[in-house]
Amino acid sequence: MMLLRLLTLPYVRKHLLRTGLTIAGVALGVLVFVGMRTANDSVLYGFQQTVDRIAGKAQLQITSGEGGFPEEVLERVQAMEEINIAVPVIEAQVKTGLQGQGNILILAVDMTGDRSLRSYDIEEGEDAVVDDPLVFLAQPDSIILTREFAQQNNLSVGSKVSFDTMVGPKSFTVRGIMKPGGLASAFGGNLAVMDIYAAQHVFGRGRSFDRIDLTLKEGIALDQGRQAIEKLLGAGYQVEAPSQRGKQFETISKLFAVAASLNSLFALLIGLFIIYNTFSIAVAQRRSEIGIARALGATRAQIRNLFLLESALLGLTGSLTGIAGGLIMAKGMASYIGQFLGDLYGVAQHTEGLALNPQTLLLAVGVGVLTSMVAAWIPARDAARIDPVKALHKGSYESITASENRWRLVTATAFVGIAAFCLVTGGTSGPKLYVGYFSVVAASVLATPILVRALILGLRPLLRLVLPVEGALAADSLMQSPRRTSATVAAVMLSLSLVVGLGGIADASYASILDWVESVVNPDLFVGTNEQISERSFRFPASLGDEIRKLDLVDEVQTVRSTRVNYRGTPVMLVAIPMLQVQGRIKPKVVAGPANVFEAAAKEGGVVLGDNLALLQNLNVGDMMEISSPSGVLRLPITGIAIDYTDQLGAILIDRSLYLKHWKDETANLFRVYLKKGVTPEAGKQQILMRFGSQNRLFVMTNRQLRDYIVKVTDQWFGLTYMQIFVAVLVATLGIVNSLTVSITDRRRELGVLQAVGGLRRQVRQAIWMEAAGIGLVSVILGLALGGLILYYYLGIIREDMAGIRLEYVYPVKIALLLAPTMLAVSWLSALGPGESAVRASLVEALEYE
Amino acid sequence: MIELHDVSKTFEGKRQVLALDHVSLQIAKGEMVSLVGPSGSGKSTLLNLIGGLDHPSSGEIVIDGERLSAVSDDELTRVRRDKIGFIFQFFNLLPTLSCLENVSLPLHLRGWKKQKAHERARELLDLVKLGKRVEHLPEELSGGERQRVAIARALSIYPPILLADEPTGNLDSHTGEDILKLIRDLHERLNATILMVTHDNGVAESCQRTIRLRDGVIVEDIRR
Ligand SMILES: Nc1ncnc2c1ncn2[C@@H]1O[C@H](COP(=O)(O)OP(=O)(O)OP(=O)(O)O)[C@@H](O)[C@H]1O
Ligand SMILES: [Mg+2]
Repeated sequence: MMLLRLLTLPYVRKHLLRTGLTIAGVALGVLVFVGMRTANDSVLYGFQQTVDRIAGKAQLQITSGEGGFPEEVLERVQAMEEINIAVPVIEAQVKTGLQGQGNILILAVDMTGDRSLRSYDIEEGEDAVVDDPLVFLAQPDSIILTREFAQQNNLSVGSKVSFDTMVGPKSFTVRGIMKPGGLASAFGGNLAVMDIYAAQHVFGRGRSFDRIDLTLKEGIALDQGRQAIEKLLGAGYQVEAPSQRGKQFETISKLFAVAASLNSLFALLIGLFIIYNTFSIAVAQRRSEIGIARALGATRAQIRNLFLLESALLGLTGSLTGIAGGLIMAKGMASYIGQFLGDLYGVAQHTEGLALNPQTLLLAVGVGVLTSMVAAWIPARDAARIDPVKALHKGSYESITASENRWRLVTATAFVGIAAFCLVTGGTSGPKLYVGYFSVVAASVLATPILVRALILGLRPLLRLVLPVEGALAADSLMQSPRRTSATVAAVMLSLSLVVGLGGIADASYASILDWVESVVNPDLFVGTNEQISERSFRFPASLGDEIRKLDLVDEVQTVRSTRVNYRGTPVMLVAIPMLQVQGRIKPKVVAGPANVFEAAAKEGGVVLGDNLALLQNLNVGDMMEISSPSGVLRLPITGIAIDYTDQLGAILIDRSLYLKHWKDETANLFRVYLKKGVTPEAGKQQILMRFGSQNRLFVMTNRQLRDYIVKVTDQWFGLTYMQIFVAVLVATLGIVNSLTVSITDRRRELGVLQAVGGLRRQVRQAIWMEAAGIGLVSVILGLALGGLILYYYLGIIREDMAGIRLEYVYPVKIALLLAPTMLAVSWLSALGPGESAVRASLVEALEYE
Repeated sequence: MIELHDVSKTFEGKRQVLALDHVSLQIAKGEMVSLVGPSGSGKSTLLNLIGGLDHPSSGEIVIDGERLSAVSDDELTRVRRDKIGFIFQFFNLLPTLSCLENVSLPLHLRGWKKQKAHERARELLDLVKLGKRVEHLPEELSGGERQRVAIARALSIYPPILLADEPTGNLDSHTGEDILKLIRDLHERLNATILMVTHDNGVAESCQRTIRLRDGVIVEDIRR
């Protein structure tokens, strides 16, 4: 401890900026880790909270995918002897149309029975309504709001408020206001309660419910009750305790979590190099102090522990900073992810505050401190080995010995060998993919000093061509401190390769999605219930399709019904389409099965799987799919696999006739409309809106608009990727700034000598600049190259384990072209400040600078 | 021709130190002057000021008619690099460069071709009897050997003015003799102006002129 105070503190005080930059190296990795995880947790927590608050006393909830189920199911459940109370529920999220309010969650219940399950703490309203639910029933436009919502929007009992519904905007009358707390705080207070039978009408539910909430008779265990219900209803239904509902969305948010973990690991790896760099320089600079301490009796262990302790403290500070930053980031991201899940999966959640998971925080601190200590290990060992006599003999300098170079070369070659072996022995999936990936990263990190040396040797003539003296000085300076140079290059190389990898994924995904859109999304018009195609709260009666077909500008209408079903624990999308009709209009991109997949599926009564689902769940043509429907488990053969981006979690395409038969649901979400030859989309749209716009809530999108919408959703999906790219660029920048700042201040004396023996300021300045440019250039070259390799593995991981999307390998040239000048400029900019202060420093002081 | 008019230098810091106190001095071209005085009397400071490494707090320094306070930093450097060879009290070699590279550095900075610069550097290293150590790094040399490299570096440009801060301080008397011979040689053959700090009375007395400093003031100026 004494040593820490005597040897460390003065040093840290003298090098505040450097210490700060090094801490940032740890902090960024931790930030990404904590930020992404906490955002995820918060979204899940928000969802679970809404579920819990709405569930009230309910012990179990019965659902059947998103599609709902017929009313008579309720009667069968109520008749069970295990059941105490069972009540129906419909939930819909609708736009409020009120400034700054976003969506409101409508909870539609049967007032007569519901009050024994949920307490509606009405503080204001007509007593008749509150006391006698039948009065509420008698007026289907009744709605109860929370005090929070009412106050924010200046509503009181008797006010009218309008929400979007199936039958267009509909006006409701506020009949009661709930006290805050409990149910009223679900969905962030944006909650409205209405009568379930009125809701069936205004939300196009026909004669079906979304859910049954129930309590069991006293003495009946939860599991016992659940099994009894499952037995009665069959496999098409999920019976879950409300506390379990969050589980299903964990699979969705797992996507984010996996990506986040991979990237924060990468960021920490980069941090590792930054720390290593700082510590090796610190050890070199403090040689004489260490030598003196050793001469005065400090043991090797004491010296080593001193540096390890320093690194632990640094790691701790970095972790804490990172956690603070991560929480700020999580706050922003939680609402983003929440919005996204809400839009795409209809998950009713409202993220309020952050869910702090102590496990995540502890892990973050642990990983941060550990990374820092691992990075400092070699420099600490070197420090301990310093020979007091030699250290007092001033200025011993780092170099990489021939034997170390040989060792590096051999190990790197071995890793390349492993990677190559994995590749040729079918390492496109499974553990071999990951082994290959890690081998490539390891090989490139190990070989960095060798590659850097070769590149700088190659670069030297070029630099000399620009400015003979300064160029040579710059190149030599880089060569003379190989460790420092290659640690910097490694850090920057890794971050740039991450950028190329992520950017490549984004590029390839766009290309692939657009390609799919080109081949499949070819109807002239799409008629949906919402401006968001994916929204499924509202549904059309099938008859609307027939009526649209009768319009004189319309050639053909294809009815689409999509709903989420549970497949092996994942909520995948079931899409019912008229297969023969669709086959006649599009050329699907078939991965496996006959070219006319849809026709074949229709004839054989099979299903066509989206490629991503097949890859993720490891399904092949000929396998049997078990899909639960309200009328029991269906076993359908897979007759084909085609590229399909309808859903990130995967889509099962079945013929509409099968859906009608087993789901007994005639509604539709979407009509694909083909117009007669020569009719413009605008004219067709006009005609549909004129004819049906007034009686139905419908949105007509032209092909162009839908494509734009898909691009928008894709953008949203990649928003997180871009954020990660941004972080990676930030880390690269940090790496360069850190090491240039450090290396330039470190060489104040040398730069002073240069000036003392006749170097002009301009010359010294330009030598520094060229050195910075050299480091930038070498890093860019290696980073772009490694990125190209990494992209290959990323595409593999995405295909096999994350999204099941087959993406073609295309090097992201645009990103590379953008990155190169950016990083060169960053290098130059970060050399500017320290370079200038070094050049302008007093020569006398610089010469004495130790 | 080196002229100092009323030059003072104070170091600001925790306590103000008046290192030079209104020093006026003229050294003619081709003179060989020794500078003596107790430790801390301001010898190194005086040398740094003349060499343009530092600026006086007041007063004026003129070298060959050029007032150092009036020229820009670049011009100052140019004066230094064209006219002045520096031998530092603490060597100030670049630790990452070999002897050869250290010695040829001033030549490189003047834009000499590598081959020519190395030729000259080799010559000078031979002269200081380090011809066999050209590829060594400074850390692999003894203190005296490093001093010789520093001298070779200072001489590499055949400077018209040589400022030497205790060039023989770290050397045994025999090597010291050799170094002095080298400096004298430069003085005689090229008519260089030499200003040399020394603690060795014998060395001091072998010069035409000796200036004695005490507490930043010239207390004695002997011409022989
Ligand atoms: N950078 C500085 N900051 C503050 N004081 C300084 C600085 N450099 C020198 N001094 C002070 O100025 C005075 C003269 O220093 P200088 O180095 O010129 O002495 P010197 O005659 O060369 O001594 P020595 O024979 O020990 O080398 C000393 O008192 C010293 O402490
Ligand atoms: Mg001195």
